[in-house]
Amino acid sequence: MDKGMDSDREYRSGQVPLPGFGPPDRADPAGQPGPSRRDGIRHVRRMSNWTAAALIVGAGSATVALAHHTMTTAAPAAGTASATARAGTAAASGSGGPQAAHSVATTSGSGVTVTTATRTVNGKTVVTHVRHTPAYHDS
Amino acid sequence: MMMMMMMTSGPDLAIALPWQQIMTGDRDIAVAERDALGTRAARVAVWPPENLDGACGAVDIVLRALDQQASRFRPDSEICWIHGRGGGLFMLSDGLAEAVGVALAAARWTGGLTDPTIGSALISLGYDRDFAAIDQQCGEPPAAPVPAPGWQSLRLDGTMLRLPPGVRLDLGATAKGLGADRAALAAMSASQQAGGVLASLGGDIAVAGTPPRDGWPVTAADTPDQVGSRAAQLVRLPRGAVATSSVSTRRWRRGGQELHHIVDPRTGRPADGPWRTVTTAAATCADANAATTAAIVAGQQAERWLATAGLPARLVGHDGEVRCLGGWPDADGAPVPVPPGTRVYRGVLRRSGPR
Repeated sequence: MDKGMDSDREYRSGQVPLPGFGPPDRADPAGQPGPSRRDGIRHVRRMSNWTAAALIVGAGSATVALAHHTMTTAAPAAGTASATARAGTAAASGSGGPQAAHSVATTSGSGVTVTTATRTVNGKTVVTHVRHTPAYHDS
Repeated sequence: MMMMMMMTSGPDLAIALPWQQIMTGDRDIAVAERDALGTRAARVAVWPPENLDGACGAVDIVLRALDQQASRFRPDSEICWIHGRGGGLFMLSDGLAEAVGVALAAARWTGGLTDPTIGSALISLGYDRDFAAIDQQCGEPPAAPVPAPGWQSLRLDGTMLRLPPGVRLDLGATAKGLGADRAALAAMSASQQAGGVLASLGGDIAVAGTPPRDGWPVTAADTPDQVGSRAAQLVRLPRGAVATSSVSTRRWRRGGQELHHIVDPRTGRPADGPWRTVTTAAATCADANAATTAAIVAGQQAERWLATAGLPARLVGHDGEVRCLGGWPDADGAPVPVPPGTRVYRGVLRRSGPR
């Protein structure tokens, strides 16, 4: 069992001491020059931890794909996102505009239209679909 | 109806763009449209009419940017680049970060009825390319359905996105609405905040500025070709937005199975509820867009979900029956009561400057 590691964890559970400000080292039962050796081990381990953390951060940054940096620059959209959110709160007064008597747009299913017709032939239900060919392309 | 080619102004728009001016009969409102984002029409309506040119130019920039950010079918788009990396941690552009943030907020709001991780499910059904390029009568059956991995598997912190390996995004439940919101505000900005503007992307409509008297006249229809028929309804939109989702459009066949593009994230299969078309009004078009998709997916629970969300809605059943909920007007020409507040822009990254 690695006593040195265990003892290291004991005071780490409370606060992590800065190098040189840790609690006094306990006497090593084996009579070895414990304090300085353990200090050295802790120092190396802390440095290793910092190094590992730096490597993780660095590797993480490197793996972040900067998608839009690699894209050809898209034409900037006019307006802003904040403006987008105001779309529904634009002026609602119906008094200031001109008179509009005719429909200016249609809301409906978009794209290719299929007309479905159902009829009964000899007691059986027959469903037919008539397709209206598109004059455009998807995007 | 008069058609004409327009030249848009601005440093990025020195080329002729395919805007076609539409004469509606109201001289004080100018309307133009073009193909965009896989939809028949991006449409812009403005008053005063002299603002049309600048508004179209601003909308062009928005559409180009959104396409570059979020299109699944452009190999040079940002989202395709991310898919090509097979997952990981990505720093997104502000525009895509906002689009993903809105999609995640919508998923949270709808309890997963919409889900941006549905990309693989759509691919397994055969919607893996430009819709016009799909083999409409492919004899091979679709691959086994792939339930969405779940929006909770994504992590978005600011512009940082963690995408699990193998997860493919599809922002179809919100991107068109987001684009309409951006387009309306960009057009207003180009007009120096004067007058009013309506922007429509494939039938998802946002308005900004001051509307015409009694609101913008808008037709709610099951499909685009119903305009003028008795199945369509004229309503007035005083503010906010209106959007429609329908399973009557974007359909294809695989091995004798009829498929469509609104997929239930829980099963990976096309939604098979009782409603073929749902239209809702909301404070923003992204809210309305998400709500209509959620209602189609919710099926039998759609009315309850819409009531809980507090949104007015018009639902069309597979038999053609129309049901109006939450104050959606029964009569033609009546205003739609648009509730205040947005659910999908809450908490989404907001950053000024170009996106």
